[in-house]
Amino acid sequence: MWGTGLIKGLAITMRNLARGPITVKYPYEKLELPERARWAVAPKFDASGNPKCTACMACVRACPDYILDLEVHTAQDKSKHVEHFRYEVGACMMCGLCVEACPFDAIEMSHDYELAVTDPEALAYDLLTDVDAASPKRARAEKPAAEKPAAEGGGPDA
Amino acid sequence: MSPALVIVLRILAALGLMLANGVVLIYMLRKVLGHLHLRLGPVHVGPKGVFQTTMDVLKLLSKEDVWPSGVDRALFYLAPMVVFVPSLMAYAALAFSETWRITDLATGLLYTFAVLSIVPIGILMAGWASANKWSLLGGMRAAAQQIAYEVPLLLSVLPVVMIVGSLNLGDVVLAQDGMWLGFLPKWFVLPQLPAFVLFAVAGLVELNQTPFDMSEAESELVSGFATEYSAMKFGLLFLSEFSNSFVISALGVTLFFGGWLVPWVSSEAIQPIAPVVFMIKVYIGIFVMMWIRGTFPRVRIDQLMQLGWKWLIPASLGWIMVTGLVMKLWQLGPQVVG
Repeated sequence: MWGTGLIKGLAITMRNLARGPITVKYPYEKLELPERARWAVAPKFDASGNPKCTACMACVRACPDYILDLEVHTAQDKSKHVEHFRYEVGACMMCGLCVEACPFDAIEMSHDYELAVTDPEALAYDLLTDVDAASPKRARAEKPAAEKPAAEGGGPDA
Repeated sequence: MSPALVIVLRILAALGLMLANGVVLIYMLRKVLGHLHLRLGPVHVGPKGVFQTTMDVLKLLSKEDVWPSGVDRALFYLAPMVVFVPSLMAYAALAFSETWRITDLATGLLYTFAVLSIVPIGILMAGWASANKWSLLGGMRAAAQQIAYEVPLLLSVLPVVMIVGSLNLGDVVLAQDGMWLGFLPKWFVLPQLPAFVLFAVAGLVELNQTPFDMSEAESELVSGFATEYSAMKFGLLFLSEFSNSFVISALGVTLFFGGWLVPWVSSEAIQPIAPVVFMIKVYIGIFVMMWIRGTFPRVRIDQLMQLGWKWLIPASLGWIMVTGLVMKLWQLGPQVVG
């Protein structure tokens, strides 16, 4: 019948009124992010609090926006020291390619999504400052040991 | 008390009612629209956000009054008043109860429609004076639609006036006292349902209410005739809009829903709380308007004009004829049958 659509529309909005709001009062209430949500890049640390980064530069090469920058100092004994691990979050598109490129699981896409700042300078993060990079040898040695405890001794560096 | 003082006090009472209505209705609109859309509406200022409009009014009062270059200064200054004053005047004839009314006008209904018909002139002035194409379009639309829809609005209330035989809004209410068949409230909405539908549609257009808010049309015209207005001049335009919706709702309640009367309660018993009953009914009417506003999208201007001239006016004329014929036959009844 002509005009029933109007009544249907009114019924829908009235039903909505009865349902109550679905709003999440954001600053006070927060929804849990999906596990695979990709937000600002963050370094990962091992159990003793040392960065897992080996300063291999894989992420820096993978970044399509050229916003990751590792400033590394290599010592006499070839051990690396990370002076700065810079990250320009304002230009980051959260693609996650750096995380995919990382062979040592040393960075992750964090769930830190409240990235707004009042000072543009604050958009330049320094992920790691003046720390010793993890040794890739040790990392390679520990990885099979942790994942395959029954594996035969030795290892790549033995 | 001197008569002059009484008059001044009554005008102040009307002004107070209008301002209080504005504050309450804006809050109510935001809450009702919010909940219709599964949102919350204002929540921050005060418990459940009840002081939001109070803060908005304070903000409007303290804001800079911007005069855009190129405006027609005299008209730009006058327009909000030309919109606001008739809205205030429209309260004069409303009958809140048998004794609660600002004036007891014999031509109350005609007077209310007459003063409300000044509003589009003010809106057109506002649109013209703003020197802004959107404002001008909004003003022209408002004038066109409000003038076009005054005809069906007036024609739609005519059957009720024919039945009552009076334009006094108090008399209209008293004529609805009693019962039909012993249990149906003698409200005019029952025999005059088509007239009520016509009144509701024409009233919504007259109020520039969604789905007929061509003059504001936020998505196309920014804010229509009010675009260039700021501070309290905008406040007056805005307030008058809400005040008009109160007046039209009050007219609807008076003409079709028995004013301050409650069904199955005698009019003497209801007398002490009559104004409260009236206000509750008016607010229910306003809620329905907001419900419609939160549901329907805007119609096009040509659809609106077609609806007005091609459907509503012929329909209301036809319904007047039907009512007149039935009334005449009712009077002649004994002669025809006997």
